[in-house]
Amino acid sequence: MEFSQIVVNSLIRGSELSLLAIGLTMVFDILKFSNFAHADYAVLGAFLAYSFNQTFGINLLISIILAALFTGLFGIGIDRILFKRLRIIGVKPVSLMIVSMGIEIGLRNMLRLIWTSEIKTYSIAIRKPLEILGARITPLQIKIILVGFLSMIAFHILLHKTKFGKSLRAISDNRMLASACAIDSEKMITWMWFLACAYGVIGGTMIAMEHVLYPRLGFDILIPVFCVTILGGIGNPYGAMLGALILAFAENIVLALDLSWLINLGGFFNVNSIQISTGYKPAISFVMLILILLWKPTGILRKK
Amino acid sequence: MTVINFFIYLLTMVGIYGLLAMSLNFQVGFAGLINFGQVAFFCIGAYTSSLLATKIGIPLPFCFVGAMILSGLFGYLMSIPTKSLKSDYWAIATLATAEVVRLIALNEGWLTGGPFGVMTIPQPLQFLFSRDSYPFFYLILVLICVLLIYFALSLLSDSPFGRDVKAIRDEEELCLSLGKNTRQIKLQAMVVAGMVGGLAGALFAHYITFISPENFRPIETFLMWAMIIVGGRGNHAGAILGAVIIQLFNVSTRFIGTYVPLSPDSMASLRMLIIGLLIIIFVSYRPEGLIKEKKKVYYPKSRP
Repeated sequence: MEFSQIVVNSLIRGSELSLLAIGLTMVFDILKFSNFAHADYAVLGAFLAYSFNQTFGINLLISIILAALFTGLFGIGIDRILFKRLRIIGVKPVSLMIVSMGIEIGLRNMLRLIWTSEIKTYSIAIRKPLEILGARITPLQIKIILVGFLSMIAFHILLHKTKFGKSLRAISDNRMLASACAIDSEKMITWMWFLACAYGVIGGTMIAMEHVLYPRLGFDILIPVFCVTILGGIGNPYGAMLGALILAFAENIVLALDLSWLINLGGFFNVNSIQISTGYKPAISFVMLILILLWKPTGILRKK
Repeated sequence: MTVINFFIYLLTMVGIYGLLAMSLNFQVGFAGLINFGQVAFFCIGAYTSSLLATKIGIPLPFCFVGAMILSGLFGYLMSIPTKSLKSDYWAIATLATAEVVRLIALNEGWLTGGPFGVMTIPQPLQFLFSRDSYPFFYLILVLICVLLIYFALSLLSDSPFGRDVKAIRDEEELCLSLGKNTRQIKLQAMVVAGMVGGLAGALFAHYITFISPENFRPIETFLMWAMIIVGGRGNHAGAILGAVIIQLFNVSTRFIGTYVPLSPDSMASLRMLIIGLLIIIFVSYRPEGLIKEKKKVYYPKSRP
């Protein structure tokens, strides 16, 4: 594979994963538990966008925005019904994690019940890919990279240039102190859920648009997203973006590597090119996750 | 006759999942190790035993022992990161590990038969019984295994080792300060749990006589989690009760499915949706499960 193609593919995958990862990292940072249902919220949004677009004939971009709004409200609703109560009782984060696992299973099967497990594709006109420096890229993929990039800038402005972002960072640092400074932490948590879900939906819909949409997609993207979040350092959105790029690059480069030199040993044997089977593509993020956890569980970027 | 056959099948599966639930309960309820990759033990046990029997053809008791040894070793491997990882990071790592195991089974076709799985797995002492009476014999074999493991685990958890394990779950720092080698105790607990899980896998493979990677999807882990959450953690009877309830629900709804105007796929998703809700409801409103752990009091509360 051309090197430029690897770069382009990694940029696309990186944009998708980082949008999903910033939501996960925020929940992890502020509520101190790993939300296993995060990827399934995103897939719920992708299905909603599909239905708005296909059944009601709404413009795709508006459908995605509507889906992000609805899923954001859904995330807030789940928080109000389940997590808020447990938070007030003061259960261990492990119990919150197990509840999120229950939500994950319930939600995924609800999607399967409503939309069936049939594979769905968005009706996007297939255009001829453009060639840039030997890499092929479709107009949709260019849009994905652009949307990813713009969403990240918007997130940065929100976090660092607004009062809202300041309050959010304050409760992530020290909830008690933030409450003493008249920051309503419950209100901030509500907004945090909304943001996490809405960003997740954008990322999830982009993955579904580029490939296909099916209820089990949530599980297939969950581990890569966890990998990205931990690689970048929990609670650090910029780490999540960097982690997403690194993982995307690793996924694309490992499959393109030729391992025959390992066996040939400088000419002793002559084996044709050996490549890792594409069946192992999902395993790359799993193995990378395990390696990161063993080597540097705090992630590459320290939280500021 | 079909009703009796159905009950024999149901009870055999209850027994096999009872073993898996006891194994998971030993990790979660006793040692406090949140394992989301329990299905890996099941998978390794089933594949080891069936491959030893079909490819090498050694006597079946040795296949069972081989399955237990290999899953025990895998438990040892999984326990290594517990020394440096917080519980929820370790939980994510185990989820990824179990998927790596399944992907290896799926992709290494020369060994495991890939997606087609292992077929015509021999059954122990089959020549002694007729076709109709064999399932009954197998049920008794499974129940004997369950009883043996139940007593072995009960003895183990009442021994000084069992008390150490529980103490680590409650106060790890305290154990360290008393000079306990907590790492080694966790490791031993994982090896024991792995062996029990491997035994369940071997029993499953020789009962079904056909296994494929589809049998070992992550959803199986969540079924086992539902069992110990519903039944109650920290005691072996709770794990068995949970296995009875969840398997009864799981298998009987499959039976009812023929009378309900729903497609098998919708039925399956409805079933899992209810199991997800059960997990959420139990963790939120009855976190100790149906059978509460009996805490031993070593001295009377009102001491003179």
